[in-house]
Amino acid sequence: MTTTDAGALAPAPTQRKRPIGLLLVAAPVLLVLWLIIWPIISAVIQTLWLPTSDGGRALSVSSYEFFANDPYSRANLAITLWTTGVCAIFLLLICLPIALYLRFSNSKIAAYVQGLAIFPMFVPSIILSFAFIRVLGPNGTVDLLLNSVGLPKIKSPYLTPWGPVIGLVWDNIPLTVLILLSGLGNVSNQAIEAARDVGAGRLMLFWHIILPRISNSILVAISFAVLGIFSAFTLPYVLGPAAPEMMGPFMQRTFRDLFDPTNAITQAVITFGFCILFGLFYVRSVAKNRTP
Amino acid sequence: MKRRHFLISAASIAAGVTIMPRMAFGAEGVIDVYFTSDQNVIDFWTNVVKPKFEAAHAGITLNLVDGGDGPGVAAIGDRALAALASGTDPQADLFEGYDTRVNAGAIDKGLFVDFSAAGLSNYSKVNPLANDIPTRLAYRGSQVLLAYDTTKLDPAAVPKTWADLVTWIKANPGQFIYNRPNKGGSGGNFVRRAVLEANGKDPKKFTVDNFTPEFAEEALTPAFAILNDLAPSLFEGGAYTSGNTQSLQLLGQSAVTMIPAWSDQALSAIAQGVLPETTGLVQLQDLGLPGGFTYIAVLSNGANKDSAILLADFLLTEEIQSAVLTELGGFPGVAWDYVSADLRERFADIIPASIPTFPGGKWETALNDGWYRAVAPNVDPAS
Repeated sequence: MTTTDAGALAPAPTQRKRPIGLLLVAAPVLLVLWLIIWPIISAVIQTLWLPTSDGGRALSVSSYEFFANDPYSRANLAITLWTTGVCAIFLLLICLPIALYLRFSNSKIAAYVQGLAIFPMFVPSIILSFAFIRVLGPNGTVDLLLNSVGLPKIKSPYLTPWGPVIGLVWDNIPLTVLILLSGLGNVSNQAIEAARDVGAGRLMLFWHIILPRISNSILVAISFAVLGIFSAFTLPYVLGPAAPEMMGPFMQRTFRDLFDPTNAITQAVITFGFCILFGLFYVRSVAKNRTP
Repeated sequence: MKRRHFLISAASIAAGVTIMPRMAFGAEGVIDVYFTSDQNVIDFWTNVVKPKFEAAHAGITLNLVDGGDGPGVAAIGDRALAALASGTDPQADLFEGYDTRVNAGAIDKGLFVDFSAAGLSNYSKVNPLANDIPTRLAYRGSQVLLAYDTTKLDPAAVPKTWADLVTWIKANPGQFIYNRPNKGGSGGNFVRRAVLEANGKDPKKFTVDNFTPEFAEEALTPAFAILNDLAPSLFEGGAYTSGNTQSLQLLGQSAVTMIPAWSDQALSAIAQGVLPETTGLVQLQDLGLPGGFTYIAVLSNGANKDSAILLADFLLTEEIQSAVLTELGGFPGVAWDYVSADLRERFADIIPASIPTFPGGKWETALNDGWYRAVAPNVDPAS
């Protein structure tokens, strides 16, 4: 079956057969295997191959059963999923208009808007947290400003589940905007102008011309943001309520304060299970992009 | 070409970094001390402990390293554990403010010196209440007080007993907050005070060795009931800050009127202007808020293990223990009988000799996790 039809790729030039390419790839692949894949496998083994009372070890799912039957742990997982979902929606609602503006605006202000949108990337989250308390916290800057014009104080989101949501959304704006912006590069001006010529309104333009071309970027942006938010630590820890906790602080507390590595690793494996789902979205969309 | 140059130099730097640690060794006669505590403690070591120790032991010097926080030094501990397995130099000798339990399996493998068998001449002086596990040595303590805003609460009307405090919190909803018991300790000791309140105000009832799950259930459940009863009257109807600093910040922003705070931290916050000068401090008179001890640990595989043990012994001398009182504003790790008589008298009013303590170890774990499960979610007992 060696007949090639017209659609298949041309045979690779002989140059490609040199092993240099493979060697260059080998270093990162081996590093990933050693530093990421192996720890994952060892973590899964550690949570399934538990010590027994007679000193040996046996296959057991008891730590997963504990997690599933423990309302406190489930509440923590639920708040993590809730925070991640709400953050993803807000990120999309905030970043898509910014990216559209940056793509189609030619004004000088656009450069400042872009700088402002990228700025959160350079602010460490611990500094963001304390700034958040100063600004949005009780008797913070916002309250002072409102008070000076005779308005009532805001109900501060500090120490409620909305605290980490606001912090995480702000923290993730740069990455999301950048990915969406690169996706918008695929939308050609000609396509837009052609659609305008046949009388498409702004909404029609967005829905039928722009959105289909950047749906892939949206998926990538959201899966990137979601992966980061799901395992966030600092912002939920400083700004969030004591309970329910997000998985990041919960894992850290189980490991460092309760000295319970087995349950901490179980929580990590469960978190990883959810993250891998979002990771699959990303891999799938990248693979889909590659196919000609 | 520039890019290639950059790649080459970046690669060589990366290679250099991976090789570098192999060439570094703990220097002979230099004790590497890693701190989890705050800057005021490191200043105390720099200005008091280091010169005194170096004067008393010629040829030994101290290298004081700020490890950031507990997890920061725990990472050094993990490295030392790996060094123990491979028989190499951990480049660290002594950890200040450390819980040797954090490095899983390290105690069993003998990573830390067992102070009960290390031959310290001053070991018997350690306050018996501070005895935790033999790989931890208490050398100082601190107490938790109530810090309040005197512009909103008249010092004459400040609650001085637990019952008054509860009445005040309920009469002034939203004006009190304490931080999570596992983070920072000022809130933790407020929770411990509630445990003591629920158990006849008798600190002797709890020792490191008498923990059983049944006793913990019996002793902690009523305490959590007290705290749940308070929750609706706290800031935001039951919010808890995630550290000492955040509580101080809320008091400083005048968002609350009263918080539990570490004595030394509150004093330095007032001195630095983080808290206004109108901040008042008060201790409960029926039974104070408990204090906590700070422990050191010595690595058994450190290059300067013997010198580090000398230093540990030196920390327990009357000279340093008195300085803890006078210079640091803490209280001694040794029993009060081993502090000079005039100091004991001078501090009798400010730091009563009866500061209750609460054991660590399993009690602490049960208390913290129990609080997260029973109090933090703000469950309505009626539902």
